[in-house]
Amino acid sequence: MSTARAEVPGAGSTGRPQPGFVRRCIFSTDHKTIGKQFLFMALFMMAIGGAMAMLMRWELAFPETPVPLMSWVPEPYMYGGAIPPNTYNSMFTMHATIMIFFVIMPILVGCFGNFLIPLMIGARDMAFPVLNMLSFWVGAIAAVILLASFFVTGGPAAAGWTSYAPLSAVPIYTGVDWGQNLWCISLIVLGISSLMGSINYITTIINMRTRGMTFFRLPLIIWALFITAILLLFALPVLSTALVLLLFDRLAGTHFFLPQGGGEPLLWQHLFWFFGHPEVYIMILPAMGIASEVISTFSRKPIFGYHAMAYAMGAIAFLSWIVWGHHMFQSGMNPALGSGFMITTMIIGVPSAIKVFNWLGTIYKGNIHYTAAMMNALAFVAMFIIGGLSGIFMACTPVDMYIHDTYFIVAHIHYVLFGGSLFAFFAGLIYWFPKMFGRMMNETLAKVHFWITLVAFNCTFFPMHILGMNGHMRRIYNPLQYDFLKPLQPINIFISISAFVLGAAQFILLANIIWSMAKGKRAGANPWRANSLEWTTSSPPVHGNWDGPLPVVHHGPYEYSSPFGEEDYLPQNVETPAKAAVAG
Amino acid sequence: MASSTAIPIRLVPASRGRQFGEGLPSGDLEAPIISNGRLAVLILLAGETMLFAGFIGAFLVYKLSAPFWPPPGLPRLPIEITWANTFVLLASGVTMNLAVRAVRRNRIARLRLLLGITALLGAIFLAVQGSEWIGLIAHGLRLSSGTYGATFYTLIGLHGFHVLCAVVWLMAVFAAALLGRLSAFRRSAVEICAIYWYFVCAVWPVLFYLVYF
Amino acid sequence: MEIASLSELIRRFWLPQGISTYSPRIDFLFTLILCITALVWVLVTVTMIVFMIRYRARPGRTAAYIEGNPRLEVLWTSITAVILIALALLSRSTWADIKEQGPPGEVFYKVTAKQFNWEITYPGPDGKLGTSDDVTVENEFHVPVNKVVRFELTSKDVIHSFFVPWLRLKQDAVPGRHIHVWFEATKEGEYEIPCAELCGFGHSGMDGTLYVQSEADYQRWLKKKYAESR
Ligand code: HEA
Ligand code: HEA
Ligand code: CUA
Ligand SMILES: [Cu+2]
Repeated sequence: MSTARAEVPGAGSTGRPQPGFVRRCIFSTDHKTIGKQFLFMALFMMAIGGAMAMLMRWELAFPETPVPLMSWVPEPYMYGGAIPPNTYNSMFTMHATIMIFFVIMPILVGCFGNFLIPLMIGARDMAFPVLNMLSFWVGAIAAVILLASFFVTGGPAAAGWTSYAPLSAVPIYTGVDWGQNLWCISLIVLGISSLMGSINYITTIINMRTRGMTFFRLPLIIWALFITAILLLFALPVLSTALVLLLFDRLAGTHFFLPQGGGEPLLWQHLFWFFGHPEVYIMILPAMGIASEVISTFSRKPIFGYHAMAYAMGAIAFLSWIVWGHHMFQSGMNPALGSGFMITTMIIGVPSAIKVFNWLGTIYKGNIHYTAAMMNALAFVAMFIIGGLSGIFMACTPVDMYIHDTYFIVAHIHYVLFGGSLFAFFAGLIYWFPKMFGRMMNETLAKVHFWITLVAFNCTFFPMHILGMNGHMRRIYNPLQYDFLKPLQPINIFISISAFVLGAAQFILLANIIWSMAKGKRAGANPWRANSLEWTTSSPPVHGNWDGPLPVVHHGPYEYSSPFGEEDYLPQNVETPAKAAVAG
Repeated sequence: MASSTAIPIRLVPASRGRQFGEGLPSGDLEAPIISNGRLAVLILLAGETMLFAGFIGAFLVYKLSAPFWPPPGLPRLPIEITWANTFVLLASGVTMNLAVRAVRRNRIARLRLLLGITALLGAIFLAVQGSEWIGLIAHGLRLSSGTYGATFYTLIGLHGFHVLCAVVWLMAVFAAALLGRLSAFRRSAVEICAIYWYFVCAVWPVLFYLVYF
Repeated sequence: MEIASLSELIRRFWLPQGISTYSPRIDFLFTLILCITALVWVLVTVTMIVFMIRYRARPGRTAAYIEGNPRLEVLWTSITAVILIALALLSRSTWADIKEQGPPGEVFYKVTAKQFNWEITYPGPDGKLGTSDDVTVENEFHVPVNKVVRFELTSKDVIHSFFVPWLRLKQDAVPGRHIHVWFEATKEGEYEIPCAELCGFGHSGMDGTLYVQSEADYQRWLKKKYAESR
């Protein structure tokens, strides 16, 4: 490294003066810093979203009894710590909104996207660093607006994260006034942030790849982020449309979604789900990318069927535009359309199957190292399958007639989003932590966190399938109001206790992050002996990513245990030794 | 696992120092087929297209399901003046195109003139739209007058807002031209703005056809 | 926990009793999908665990260099596709029978949802809906057993969802729309009608009762209600 720098004086960024603290850490245009900012924002929001979940679980296990330690919350939010129905509605609304828009998206797309894209394609930064910085700050403003809605009269939005009109369109229907408006505004602002993000990602991936980095030498995570950015680009404006119309209904006296004035309530659902379904794949594709990186690295084996993996993601992205109606089977939409959506929804299982089987193919005959990252990645595969398979029940229209809007759906949501996206986040965090902070995460703590989380997660969400099979509706704050749900209460209590364990386990993660950032073992450039380009520079990389010139790519990112290599890995910037020998 | 690389990392020296983004030297990049700025504005327009598609889709749902469109009792939209206004906007697309040619040939005086005319045409379009709106409001077409009024103001307003943004952007480019900051070497500022301008012009006839007829 | 409630709890690990003519068809599809997915899950998970144990890192081991296998790829893609498309085609007719056509109705009602009650409108003695002798009752839905019940579902304010778990029936009630729903209950009894779509702070607890009665009991009840309402 140092010799290379000597050869090309001033070519690296080290020739530039280090910017001051504010430029470096707050209004930084460095993609690595922005990635970390997204990470910390998301962790902060996760604590809030998680706290909402804990309160919800208390209410469901011990309905209408005061929550311990919460008696300080003023009326009408809580009554001496007891949760009234409207507060419960606000809670799951904010829980889901925060988890989806301010946890999973910022982590998977904002954090990993920003941190990894330039490093893995061999660029010094994003195509538009200032736009990138703006994208974070606009996103942060959106988060602040959403959090502000906790403090307005009437409380935060309470119409579910799907905010079905007309419930969401008229203040008196929910009793929520500015809370819902701020919810809309926050998501419109977030839409602008993510538009800026996707412009940056797409341009960077198309235009800024280093020499030799062809499209089919990109790591799968970059493929995933590229496709995700395209999905974001096309999906979020449609959500913005819906939100603007909803705001007009609430504030300007229009009747877009109100039948009294010739409006159409189902239009909201069509617009929302036309965005909403691609949205769920936005949250799983980067997770799939992370899993591919981690599983291949720690199996010391090339990813099985690289091309099939990339095409499968493309297919998922394409199909995700024509399945939105599966959320509306019972909505009164023309049932003939339902049959069409059932077929497309079933078909979208096929590319997902390709991915799952290829991960199995990757560990087959591998040399598997059970690091904490690998364990989380394998858990991702195992849990995603359960969530995906429960999706097949719902895709079947007659069965969905029974399980729609029950806890079966809630189980599905959490198996794909927690079991899927969050486990992949854990894997990715442990895997790239040394690159981000220059220090390794503590393996023991990470493994303790992994095992507790895995067990508690399954104890929390698997029994929800059984609740759903009994017709336990979602979004009800007191199951004991129904005679037929009373015998199920022990299950609800069991779920809640597991959920508290699950929530507590996340403190281990938090502790591990903080401890490792300060005291973790120093990491070398390539602690996992991995191939992709981010491992060819120092940990953490310098401003400008590489001292000296950019690496040049000679082959794909998954050359593990290659017969040509002397080691069991072959970084992308190293020529295949046999070929180099031939070239002489 | 071992904690550092076993294989030496080979780096090739930087050949061309092309400038990207913040101006960090990016070494060994092949020149891309399409520049970052142009690509970015095209991507932006893809997103904008979806935004308009959402609004137009909603509009069509109401229009096609309504028994009478426009509903009886509400004022008709002024077609003649809007025809004229359409030509104004389309003409601005032509002058924009001429401006792009001028900057490519480095004819700066001509560029200034054409940019000025384009911005003026855009402003005229907005002004006429504005006066139309005032008339319609006076005649009782409100946002709250059923879906007819609501879709009219939101859809046309969305487009108007885009024209406004385009005009502001164009003014900035115009100012740069006046200050002599534009030349054949820095023509992409004009070209990128032009792409956006064409988009705004191209959307209008579609809306005009759907909304006014 | 008491023994009785424990056995009750265990019984709950399966679908509740079905009481409509179409509930067996839905339960069949549910069971079929459960078998397929359980099989897939066992296969995938067992394979994964076997691989995880067999191919764990040991000193001296090296991984095989395998980049893929197009034939395998085609094989598992087409098998999955065939299974899933077959499932969709199989489900289609059940769906069409329940939500698209259905048998001609024998008794007719109108159900109107509102925050936070179900309003059931019964035809009066003239047997016709929409006439002045209609009877409207809140939250009590009486129907005769073994008769094809048809009703028009709508809402006065927000979207609600008419749900009777034992009928396996769920249908959203949308303001501005009149949706036609049918079922034929095969077992007498009282069943709850929860609302399944979030409809505001009273959503939890919005609950009616479906009384499936013998024809005689049903007529007696209807007469009584009619007399009361005059
Ligand atoms: C990351 C998020 C994510 C992902 C990836 C998915 C993936 C899928 N989802 Fe899910 N879904 C959600 C998030 C997600 N979903 C959320 C949040 C909701 C609720 C929204 C709300 O109402 O609040 C929802 C709701 C939802 C519904 C609506 C239910 C209802 O409200 O009634 C349906 C219906 O069809 C559905 C189906 C599917 C299907 C078929 C897949 C498929 O993509 C899954 C494909 C994967 C597999 C099938 C497993 C792997 C395959 C194999 C091992 C091969 C062999 C398999 C067979 C032969 C069967 N989802
Ligand atoms: C990514 C998405 C995501 C995640 C991670 C979760 C996580 C959890 N969810 Fe959530 N959930 C949704 C998405 C998600 N959920 C959605 C979309 C809905 C539908 C909403 C609707 O109907 O509108 C829903 C609904 C939903 C319901 C149904 C409510 C109802 O219908 O009445 C329930 C009930 O049990 C529930 C429970 C939980 C629990 C116990 C967790 C637990 O896993 C939470 C565990 C806790 C944490 C992960 C955070 C704790 C961490 C710390 C305290 C320390 C860390 C802090 C830092 C690092 C700073 N969720
Ligand atoms: Cu009515 Cu929920
Ligand atoms: Cu979906």
